[in-house]
Amino acid sequence: MLKRIALLVSLFALAATPAAAQPAPIKIGAILPLTGSGASYGVWMKGGAEMAAEEINAAGGIGGRRLEVIYEDHAADASKAVNAMRRLVEVEKVPFTLTSYSAPTLAIQPIGSQNKVVMMNGGGQSDNLANKDYLYNNIPVVSNEVGVLCDWLTKEKKFKAAVMIVANDEAGRNSAKSFRERFGAGGGKVLAEEQIALDGNDFRAQLAKLKAQGGDLLFISSYGRNVAIVADQARELGITLPMAATSWVQIPEVLKSKGAQGLLTTRLPFNPESAFARKFKERYKTDAGFFAVQYYSGTRIFAAAADAAMKKNAGKLDGEGVKNAIESIKAFDTISGKLVFQPNHAAVMDIEVGVLKGGKVEVEKVIKAAQ
Amino acid sequence: MDLVLQLLATGLVVGSLYALCAIGWGLIYGTTLHFHVAHGAVFALAAYYAYAGQTLLHLPLPVAVVLAIAAAALSGLLIDLLLYQQLERRGAFRTSIFIASLGLLILLENVLAIVFTPDPMRMDIGALNTAVIIGPVFLTYLHILTVALTIVAYGALMLFLKRSRWGQAIRAVSSAPEMARTVGIDLKRVHLLAYAIGSALAAPAGILVAMDVGAEPFRGTRFVLLASVGVIMGGIGSIPGAMLGGVFLGLLENLGIWKLPSEWQSAISFGVFLVFIVLRPRGFFGRTIHSAEI
Amino acid sequence: MTAYFAHYLVMVGIYTILATSLNLLVGYSGIFSLAHAAIYGIGAYASALAALKLGLGFWGGLLVAAVVGALAAALVAIPSLRVAGDYYIVASFGLQVVILTVFINWTSFTNGHAGLPGIPRPSLFGLVIDNPFKYVVLSLALAAVTYAICHRLTASAFGRMLRAVREDEIAAQATGKNVVAVKITITTISSALGALAGSLYAHYITYINPTSFTLDESIFITSLVILGGTERLAGPFVGALILLAVPEALKFLAIPDTVAAPMRQILYGALLILFMFVRPEGILGRARTRPAA
Repeated sequence: MLKRIALLVSLFALAATPAAAQPAPIKIGAILPLTGSGASYGVWMKGGAEMAAEEINAAGGIGGRRLEVIYEDHAADASKAVNAMRRLVEVEKVPFTLTSYSAPTLAIQPIGSQNKVVMMNGGGQSDNLANKDYLYNNIPVVSNEVGVLCDWLTKEKKFKAAVMIVANDEAGRNSAKSFRERFGAGGGKVLAEEQIALDGNDFRAQLAKLKAQGGDLLFISSYGRNVAIVADQARELGITLPMAATSWVQIPEVLKSKGAQGLLTTRLPFNPESAFARKFKERYKTDAGFFAVQYYSGTRIFAAAADAAMKKNAGKLDGEGVKNAIESIKAFDTISGKLVFQPNHAAVMDIEVGVLKGGKVEVEKVIKAAQ
Repeated sequence: MDLVLQLLATGLVVGSLYALCAIGWGLIYGTTLHFHVAHGAVFALAAYYAYAGQTLLHLPLPVAVVLAIAAAALSGLLIDLLLYQQLERRGAFRTSIFIASLGLLILLENVLAIVFTPDPMRMDIGALNTAVIIGPVFLTYLHILTVALTIVAYGALMLFLKRSRWGQAIRAVSSAPEMARTVGIDLKRVHLLAYAIGSALAAPAGILVAMDVGAEPFRGTRFVLLASVGVIMGGIGSIPGAMLGGVFLGLLENLGIWKLPSEWQSAISFGVFLVFIVLRPRGFFGRTIHSAEI
Repeated sequence: MTAYFAHYLVMVGIYTILATSLNLLVGYSGIFSLAHAAIYGIGAYASALAALKLGLGFWGGLLVAAVVGALAAALVAIPSLRVAGDYYIVASFGLQVVILTVFINWTSFTNGHAGLPGIPRPSLFGLVIDNPFKYVVLSLALAAVTYAICHRLTASAFGRMLRAVREDEIAAQATGKNVVAVKITITTISSALGALAGSLYAHYITYINPTSFTLDESIFITSLVILGGTERLAGPFVGALILLAVPEALKFLAIPDTVAAPMRQILYGALLILFMFVRPEGILGRARTRPAA
């Protein structure tokens, strides 16, 4: 009898609770490569963000409010990213969005900056992403990795003459520019360069032209599924040169490709044995990767910044508050260690160099981050 | 020199694919005067028929390919029977047929994109992937097969058109449809035959590309566009012209980038075509035209 | 009025300009061009670069776009002087591909795939047109101006000459009409207006890259003309109203974008086929009498 009364009372209490006691969720955006040549990155990025949001909500949310992530697909097309950003800003009125890829991020940055919406890039690496208002990169810019790679290739592996195959977009061209500089600084020379489309699938003409140039190394300044095709078709055409690329090529298609074995590459810190990696694998039935951690961290960094901003502004949350919080906190604890945003709004990390063998990168050296 | 030879070889392989599409499209256009852009959809469908046959029905590759070609021929025939002939019965203008064909192309490509996703569907081609080295030129058995198949298909088509009764009927309808009708040729039947044969020629092209780089829903648009360019360059109404036009385009695309940057590949081929069409609209072997009416 | 609806009206305005200017060629002159998206793109890039590199702002950009578009008209006109009908269609395909390749690869000018971000919004007497609601007025006003220009043109003696050339070019020539001048004039006006739409688009979205100006876009603009009704000047406006509403209607059904985009295209394709059976002259079109077979 008492139990029934207690139940009735609690039901009444619930019904009488004004709706305002259920606070509105905090919405943030996530503009990711969910389809297309970079879909493998999308699986990691979305998974990482999702896992972070769930953990945050399970722990009570941010300042008592639930976190809701609105996922948008740019499919490597900056126009789609711009449309998504305008929807997020004008209709959903988000204070913050995760973003990815270089050209889409550069395209949305003026919109974010004008409307005071913070953008957190965990994947794009063009050097042009640094020093932009309201844009933060929790990943090092590509010239860091290319610098480490070129040092290793010229000084220890003694390569002297490289040919390059370059994706005809912002990230590809930027990384190629960096390679020319750093390979040259190490005493090497770039003999020739050919451009390819991210979503292409036949690169034989370009590879044939590069083959005719000779050289002792093929640098692949591209990312996404086409890298596996480049590697396979290069070998098919009888190109026996060793190939090199930075860490962004390490998606399952490339790791498994026969042509890509022997690839000389850099690696950003990722522990496949960590608790996060195991949870990710269990949940999504596929191996986690570096970018999964990146977007997990990016979401967590938002939570920390938003929490600080709400505490400072009596519960009010907007983009400007989040930005100020990031600037004042600066160093964030993440599952890969401490992440410090440099004055140029980018991060620095330890970089490893190694060789792709049997589907895994065997690390030869670790270069510590210059703080 | 090695580079030129490699580009020449690749150009012949790609040119063969364009030629297959061009002779098929040219046959259809010459016989029916339909601007059948949906030929691109048949190209794409053929690739997926083969893919489905091998991967979903677990048929051995040659069986899957043959069935796919037959299915594609049937598909092309049905497009004429159920769409174009129905529109013609209602007195449609040729523009309307073109628009309907365009609508069908868009519709079918996007159905494929939903069913199979826009990502390329790779096929297992086993030994065909093996490298073949001829001097400085690197190819695969698949590439050699492509060129061989195209030559055989062209030869078979020419033989059919010259020697067989139905072939002669097609030629009669192509050159003088009213006269053909007067002597008792059933135009509708001849149209269906042209569609079946033309589609059966596009199918191997779609399948060979899929065997090389995977089946994709939207690739057909580019191929049918190039096919029509090849037919115009060769001269409308001429099958040898279409064959030449297709091969020429393939060679142009690949040799064109020998000295020019490769990213300008498409601009080179179509740029040459635009100059060509202004200077010699009737193509290599076409009849002189005064005004190509729609 | 919600932001969604305002956005829809802005796009209706832009596409009305595009489709009406294309209708001058397709409906009135019998020049079936599939290169209109390339002209649209030329206008967009001209305006964006004028604003970003020369600091000209929207109105300067608009003017530059119209002039550059008019000059680019030569590319559309020249093949039409040599061939017509199916030949011209293929030539315009080719033109579209060439121009798009230039957008993608002339990176020092267009920045290629990375595109041009940060294009400034228009300002009028100090008032910045910075949200969709204000932009609706600008977009619809320019659409109305376009309509007026085209109306004057087609209702005049020039319009009659256009129809004569379309119906029978040889006869028109025989009666002394300067067919070359007519074609050059109409393609120039059509391209200038199409480029204008490009400028309007660039300063609205504030970002452009080549993917907005592909063959698919040309086909879409052509659909607006065909479905709305060729040879009736208001046809393209009606076409835009209906076809642009389709994606919005689909948004109310919670379908992921990867399925929604192809579904939208399937709907367009099906509509094109349906219309050819049921109403080939378009919603507002005048049925053209078919000569006795």
